[in-house]
Amino acid sequence: MPPKRTREHHVRQTYVSTTTIDPRVVAERTRKHLDQLERSNYAETSIMSVTGDDNEPGKYGKSRARQIVSDKRNLKLLGSSPAATKKRSTMNVRSALLYPKNLATLIEESGIASLPASTPTYLTAEAPAPSYPPRLICSVCGYWGRYKCRKCALPYCDQNCESVHAETRCEKRVV
Amino acid sequence: MTPTIVLDNGGHTIKAGIGGTDTPAQLIPNAIARSKSKSTTYFGHELLQCTDHASLSYRLPISKGLIVDWDAQKAIWDGLFSTDVLGIDTTQSSLLLTEPYHNLPNIQQVYDQFIFEEYQFASYYRCTPASLIPHLFPTTTTTTTPSPDCTLIVDSGFSFTHAVPLIHGRPHSRALTRLSIGGKLLTNHLKHLISFRQWNMMDQTHITNHIKESCCFVSSDFARDLHTARSARSPNPLTQEYALAEGRLRQPGDSTSSGSSQILVMNNERFSVPEIIFRPDDIGLNQVGLAGTIAHSISLLPEDLQGMFWANIALIGGNTKFPGFRERLLADLRPLAPVEHDVQVYEYPDPITAPYDAAMRFVSTPAYKDSVVTRQEYLESGSNATRRKWRVSAGEEKEKEKEKEKQGRSKSKTGTARKK
Repeated sequence: MPPKRTREHHVRQTYVSTTTIDPRVVAERTRKHLDQLERSNYAETSIMSVTGDDNEPGKYGKSRARQIVSDKRNLKLLGSSPAATKKRSTMNVRSALLYPKNLATLIEESGIASLPASTPTYLTAEAPAPSYPPRLICSVCGYWGRYKCRKCALPYCDQNCESVHAETRCEKRVV
Repeated sequence: MTPTIVLDNGGHTIKAGIGGTDTPAQLIPNAIARSKSKSTTYFGHELLQCTDHASLSYRLPISKGLIVDWDAQKAIWDGLFSTDVLGIDTTQSSLLLTEPYHNLPNIQQVYDQFIFEEYQFASYYRCTPASLIPHLFPTTTTTTTPSPDCTLIVDSGFSFTHAVPLIHGRPHSRALTRLSIGGKLLTNHLKHLISFRQWNMMDQTHITNHIKESCCFVSSDFARDLHTARSARSPNPLTQEYALAEGRLRQPGDSTSSGSSQILVMNNERFSVPEIIFRPDDIGLNQVGLAGTIAHSISLLPEDLQGMFWANIALIGGNTKFPGFRERLLADLRPLAPVEHDVQVYEYPDPITAPYDAAMRFVSTPAYKDSVVTRQEYLESGSNATRRKWRVSAGEEKEKEKEKEKQGRSKSKTGTARKK
């Protein structure tokens, strides 16, 4: 089918005609790697294990509400606000504390996606795609990557780096 | 008089202080960290006392610039307002709080709920860090500060980098542009590079961040530096050695024996990490670099003002502290700017606390009192109070009002004409 061929032609990652890897696989791999770079911890543990008690693993089992940490601290706050006293927080505050939402849910609930395109929002502010082609940088040593791996399309610079690449990260990871 | 708290709520660091006291900002990590070896948890300011930064796992209230974990955020704010740090009575104080650019309306509502319902502040003002910067400018324009009428603030922080054009001191949200590269990503990228090439540092976020801050610089000629780093293997003028055990750079005079087993050699990692801000495609991110982001933002502005923006670019945020950042940006911007326009990039003495310093000036002016929303107003109309107040003052609305006024006038004119 002609349309499919033209689409593949435009994907930048395919420099080497002999590369057998699907550009979509490369794109997916890049996306995963970028997500990884946004992590706070390498081993992404469940949020609770960062602050929760190690001894009680089953505690956060099935109930939707999770244990919160902010009310278990011995701090002295001045004044008469709920934060400073043992007064019960308002419903709004308690639900924000007990039912955290992830970013995707928050964006969906905010309804900014359905606003007209002329309204500036979080989604419309992103920088545009570059008009220049990407540079090839050796995935092993960081020098210019003159060649690309035929299996996984990662760039490398010389035979030395090629062998390291083949041994360690071929078909595994990006850059 | 009620004291005013200034709280610049950054993704990595909170910059906080009490207005009118003229004290420098308290820098408090906006994180909860748990040490596995000691099984202790450090909240916000307690992290400053932590001495063993190895293998800390972090829980951050802010993800991709926005507050998503209110439990963590409250735990950190509680500590900040408590007698441990600021020691203020929140019910008797006013608060200036910063929020991210393009904050989501539903998150903004939660901000209001926490400030008025949980902490019960007497009044508060919420704005973006860049919108505070004009208060830093002196009233008369000098050669060392950008013009207050048209300024483009580049805020390169922990989560993101933004180009924020300000017209008459107000952000022009239509042209605000975001580049998805921040300090967090750079540190993680460096972590990956080091872990693959030398030492496994995947769990050592704190140390990697320190390495990044002490070794990295922005290259003014990437190809040349890359070549230097490769050609003369060792020692070449760009190589630096970082002693992991001592947690500092090794000086030339250091004896080779001390902790020589734990030396990290920084070579092209020193400049290829900050390079990502200028070439995001190096890690596969399909966005134009910082200079292109700025050019894109300026292209969305009214044409007759664009020249002013090219000549008034100012840098804030931690990433701009990389040596050579300004020079590189200037060099990258020049070919993108029209020939007839002058390109100027300004820096502040401390780009991290610049919004805080500006806020400190702002809260002592009478204009601050007019911009806050009081607790009384919130109790009457909820989040509508904040929405109404701060949106109306957003400039664009004012223009609409003027138009309405004009229309009203012309209507009344025709009315009188008919009477005649």
